[in-house]
Amino acid sequence: MQGAETVVTEGRTFPPLGPKTNSIQQVRYVCAIGAMHSASAIPWVIPITHCGPGCAEKQFGSLAMCNGFQGGGYGGGAVVPSTNISESEVVFGGENRLRELIRASLKILDAELFVVVTGCIPDLVGDDAGAVVREFQAEGVPVVLAETGGFKGTNFTGHELVTRAIIDQYVGEYAGGRTPGVVNVWSMLPYHNTFWQGDLSEIKRVLEGGGLKVNILFGHESEGVSEWKRIPQAQFNLVLSPWLGLRTAQHLEGKYGQPFLHLPIIPIGADETSSFLRKVVAFAGIDPSLAEEFIKKEERTYYHYLEGFGEFYSEYFWGMPAKFVVVGESAYNLALTRFLINDLGLMPGGQFITENPPEEYREAISREFRTIADDVVTHVAFEEDSYRIHTLIRQSDFGQKPPIILGTTWERDLAKEMRSAVVEVGFPASYEMVLSRTNVGYRGAIALLEKIYTTVVSGTA
Amino acid sequence: MRINLDTPVVESREQRLGTIIAWDGKASELSKQSEYARKSCASGCGEKGRRLCEMKGPFTQGSVCSEQMVECQAGHIRDAVLIQHSPIGCGAGQVIYNSIYRNGLAMRNLPVENLRLISTNLKEQDMVFGGVDKLEQSIRDAWERHHPKAIFIATSCATGIIGDDVDGSARKMEGELGIPVIPLHCEGFMSKHWSTGFDATQHGIMRQIVRKNPTKQEDLVNVINLWGTDVFTPMFKELNLRVNFVVDLATVEDLAQMSEAAATVGFCHTLSSYLAAGLEQEFGVPEIKAPQPYGFPGTDAWLRELAKVTHREELAEAYIAREHLRVAPRIAELRVLLKGKKGFVSTGSAYAHGIIAVLRELGVEVDGSLVFHHDPIYDSQDPRQDTLAHLVDNYGDVPSFSVSNRQQYQFYGLLQRVKPDFIIIRHNGLAPLASRLGIPAAPLGDEHHALGYQGIINLGETILEILSHKKFHEDLAAHVTLPYKKWWLDQGDPFLLVKGD
Repeated sequence: MQGAETVVTEGRTFPPLGPKTNSIQQVRYVCAIGAMHSASAIPWVIPITHCGPGCAEKQFGSLAMCNGFQGGGYGGGAVVPSTNISESEVVFGGENRLRELIRASLKILDAELFVVVTGCIPDLVGDDAGAVVREFQAEGVPVVLAETGGFKGTNFTGHELVTRAIIDQYVGEYAGGRTPGVVNVWSMLPYHNTFWQGDLSEIKRVLEGGGLKVNILFGHESEGVSEWKRIPQAQFNLVLSPWLGLRTAQHLEGKYGQPFLHLPIIPIGADETSSFLRKVVAFAGIDPSLAEEFIKKEERTYYHYLEGFGEFYSEYFWGMPAKFVVVGESAYNLALTRFLINDLGLMPGGQFITENPPEEYREAISREFRTIADDVVTHVAFEEDSYRIHTLIRQSDFGQKPPIILGTTWERDLAKEMRSAVVEVGFPASYEMVLSRTNVGYRGAIALLEKIYTTVVSGTA
Repeated sequence: MRINLDTPVVESREQRLGTIIAWDGKASELSKQSEYARKSCASGCGEKGRRLCEMKGPFTQGSVCSEQMVECQAGHIRDAVLIQHSPIGCGAGQVIYNSIYRNGLAMRNLPVENLRLISTNLKEQDMVFGGVDKLEQSIRDAWERHHPKAIFIATSCATGIIGDDVDGSARKMEGELGIPVIPLHCEGFMSKHWSTGFDATQHGIMRQIVRKNPTKQEDLVNVINLWGTDVFTPMFKELNLRVNFVVDLATVEDLAQMSEAAATVGFCHTLSSYLAAGLEQEFGVPEIKAPQPYGFPGTDAWLRELAKVTHREELAEAYIAREHLRVAPRIAELRVLLKGKKGFVSTGSAYAHGIIAVLRELGVEVDGSLVFHHDPIYDSQDPRQDTLAHLVDNYGDVPSFSVSNRQQYQFYGLLQRVKPDFIIIRHNGLAPLASRLGIPAAPLGDEHHALGYQGIINLGETILEILSHKKFHEDLAAHVTLPYKKWWLDQGDPFLLVKGD
């Protein structure tokens, strides 16, 4: 949806909004150096930032604090070393300063791996950070470099740069065999996805329930760099997102001859989760009986709770939203939209994909939304600028009741204005406390229902 | 050392004031070493040849940049828009400062809304060909979307390096739109301390917004603050004065009328130094030359000076007497409740001087403090504003007084030195470590909380509240691993790796 094209959502026509410009008001992603969080998301790994004095703090304050109050973890937040570049490094180069900082970090910080990430300044003034990092690597120091200059991409593309840096510079070559039934999981973006910790735990739990051994790689359920070292030994890679992780999986396929399974839909609810597990188990070629037993048990619990919910859902007096809008990155947007359409029977009122996915993936993303259900028309809009998104939502006709908005803090004012409710499900979620909560799988779906309908009910009186 | 409003680029703190970001010693010693800056400085002696000894080391953790302070000042003006001329990463701050803006508005009983910041979202090709076209586009977008009363532009490290002519674009767009379009030069690498960002914002406001032909309002007082609770209106009512809050949560008209005020005050000289001195120099609005309003002597002197400048001495004396009587009983009780407790203050520079005073009024022991920077003098160069000397003279020395721009790795050792029962913080990043050591923190998000006579009571009550959190932090401390090596934690000297220059 480019330029002054007419926007079509749910078969309705929005008036033209004027051409898209470069402006981004109310950011929904940050720059590539934000992927320092992909390093600190791995247990005992600490990023080292070679950048201006505010970059590390901004990314941390934004992604980890004002987004679910997640906290920085062991090696994130205010722990992160930074060269805090000043004028002299701009003029004379910052390689010596970086060398000095890495050396000092080794002395002071206890990490199994350091990941050096660069900001705009070194990438503009032409620091050869690679040469500096290679000096340490030659000494056997566990340190890798990802060039994540802010103008080069987003924290999504930066995530794959960090991932690839660890694989190529730390995991390294591998010539041995692969272990059947072991899977590496590449899914949501740590920290940016407010619920990544709980979600990854649930995904791991489900896969293990099906008899797989899981390298979850990020979050406290990962074993850290030893798990990363075992990546090449896994039978296959699972990319569980519309596009993030695909490049990594393709790279691993080329590097280790390791196959990958791409499932764009992060499962929410029993139907989706059971089907997800069956697909992975089939791909792995392991005995499905364990999975079937697990599914049976999980579904019994799931439908027990759903039955309770059903009483509320069928006879709650005071009205409920019939439509919903999702404003968020493609992975969660697709997962939530499918669940709300297919499992709850809600009607989509606008799905805004906000992470600026690379052009090459956009058609495939749109197709996923078009094929959610035979009887529901869902159109997506790729929009990054909240002003445009909010204008499009305001101009929509939602019928007799406003929709429930699954979005971010940026939608709080809009929801108030529309007398609607907002559930903050993505970055930035500055008015949500999120620790282990999940929205995916069997357990997450129930928690999501609780959250959505607590919000709806508590707004009624 | 006059403030120079002729150029669009503000002179950094270190250039103007000799600011340092790393030092360790006694408060009295730092005060003494800072004397050079104010000695016989009746006007403009500015001994730039002399400076404080500053330490520098190989290990540093992420600090804060000037652009962030521009976001939290210019980005919080209610009818303006701030353009961030930068790659999208600087826009990460929109999330942080939106959260602050919304809660600040709520605290001040103003309608809660999202802030209006727009990123020009520069990409790799813009680094080669320049980004001014995108800047002008975003300025036009800001105008079409919000019809603001003013548009500010924050520069970034990237635009500073590629050399975009931001001033030229601003002039052009100001002509086109007919509202002030104000470039704020705040590249992070240009100053070692973020407080230069305050000055950059205030510089732009004085150059392009403040009314040049003011009509004096004899009862109006500029209060340079952030978003804190309005404790000033009731206080000023006693003196028949009106409050003009700037810069955060102000309107452009509030900023324009600063030149019409009878005086300027602030809650913290670190924040107000440049603007208050500039308003006096350029527009003849007197800055209240007094210690900050913390603790009894500070608040007394501050009120008396304000009263003298605005000719309300009798009202002030009556108010001071009433307030002393009013707060005395509860303060006496708090002193009993807080007896033997040890506090540690880690906040901005001048603010820390005030907070330590309040703690000592409450009988709390303060053996250690960490300030994020130190200005040997403020822009007024007036000895009556020497907040550190005021602290040492009135309340005695602080044995472990350290300057460190929020370096968490040093904070561990600083806490070991004095073993406090609680800490007081404003910026984030230090309390998480204290918490992992079993020490609770009082975050003063409301910067007015400890101000004035009532502030002594407020802070005492807050300390009692957070001391009760100790159970939580001690439990946590028993179950976490710190990311620092044992070798480092065992060092007695947090400044081991840094040396004087």
